Amino acid sequence: MGKIFDPVFMIHSFPEVLQALPTTLFIAFMSAVIGLVIAFIVSFIRYANIRILSPLAKVYISFIRGTPDLVQIMLVYYGIPLFLKAINAKFGTAFDVNGVPSIAFAIVALAINAGAYMSETMRSSLLAVDAGQLEACYSVNMTRLQALRRVIVPQAIGIAIPPLSNSLISLIKETSLVFTISIIDIMAQAKIVGSRSFRFFEIYVVVSIIYWVICAIVAFALSKVEVYARRYERKVDK
Amino acid sequence: MIQLENITKSFKKTQVLKNINLTINQGEVVTLIGPSGAGKTTLLRLLNWLEVPDSGRITVGDAHIDASKYSKHDVRRLRGQSSMVFQHYNLFKNKTVLENVTESLVIVSKLNHKEAEEKAVALLKKVGMGDKLHDYPANLSGGQQQRVGIARALAVDPKVMLFDEPTSALDPEWVGEILHLIKQIAAQGMTMILVSHEMRFVRSVASRIIFLENGELVEDSNPKELFENGKSVRTQAFLQKLTYEEE
Repeated sequence: MGKIFDPVFMIHSFPEVLQALPTTLFIAFMSAVIGLVIAFIVSFIRYANIRILSPLAKVYISFIRGTPDLVQIMLVYYGIPLFLKAINAKFGTAFDVNGVPSIAFAIVALAINAGAYMSETMRSSLLAVDAGQLEACYSVNMTRLQALRRVIVPQAIGIAIPPLSNSLISLIKETSLVFTISIIDIMAQAKIVGSRSFRFFEIYVVVSIIYWVICAIVAFALSKVEVYARRYERKVDK
Repeated sequence: MIQLENITKSFKKTQVLKNINLTINQGEVVTLIGPSGAGKTTLLRLLNWLEVPDSGRITVGDAHIDASKYSKHDVRRLRGQSSMVFQHYNLFKNKTVLENVTESLVIVSKLNHKEAEEKAVALLKKVGMGDKLHDYPANLSGGQQQRVGIARALAVDPKVMLFDEPTSALDPEWVGEILHLIKQIAAQGMTMILVSHEMRFVRSVASRIIFLENGELVEDSNPKELFENGKSVRTQAFLQKLTYEEE
């Protein structure tokens, strides 16, 4: 009869679970970067209220917010191959669906998801910048683009960082869903180690600690960025 | 120098400016007075195209613009003639005192950094802010912020300076020094349009006073005339109310 809880096994499992850490970090990093780019573009489309694109952006955001992350991953995983097939059939091209690694689907799905949430954050941050700032830019004859680049966006970034940190941390945690499309991230690795030893609880403690540490490091780094981005604001003594 | 022709402007259903016609010559210091909601600030903001009129034509310096048909180019040309000092200063929060002034010089006037800085430092010294160049606006008092606002507006070498209630958000102790500064600039021959409720100041600095009410120009006269024997009943009523408040 074994121990009820085996801390030694737990500690010894860390290295094996950590083997999959690069995969998790790679997916998180790539989807964060692509997601931020999507969010930046979409927030501007909505902020400037560009015809045709703005309503489309609204539908995109509504859809992403209204469907589960797991479903979105499935849609991408099964949808992109169909899409490529359709293109092949129509244009006689020969994209090889099987040549696309699963990890690419995961990154696309998570980036599209995070992009929607972050675009709303960015849009509201742009709107939160005092209208007087834009007027001041116009009064010294700056163009709208110059005003955005030099004054509005830098101030909006300071406002956006705390909620963006939340989105980025959620994104890191959502990478744990990609095991469903047969990617070996730390979650999948944990399942493998767990089913071999039947010590699932210990393994999931290991996994939770790893996620926690990653998220804590990212949160700390972003709080430093926030301090820098808001350096011009008045500090209130506590 | 400045000409407004048949300017009308409404916000939703309220008509705030009703067919305004006005000519202002170079070197005049014009003050707009009148009860709140009269359209003073709107009239001022039109000249910088911060408000777009529903109809009419505006000429400032050598820029002309017609509200019924204008391009981005027309707007920039118009804005290039004037600069605005705001009631709430509106300094660029993410920029230092120095950067607030150099910003337009580098970005709009395309001076190089060294030239821009020299010009900005000279202006900031002139307004008494030479020792705060690297502070952010959030760390300045209202009076200091408004001095920077004035330096920023001077930096673009405007043909006309527009002041939108420049002292009404200030603590009483700072009002005097800002008014003094504005008076100095006026003494150098700058064409100015001010919206102000500081009647004693208006009286001493303005070469011309325009009384607005309900979107119409009620009276247009020089300070002595207007204060001593304002023709219209409405002007007199307004001035009387203010005098009571002062006493």
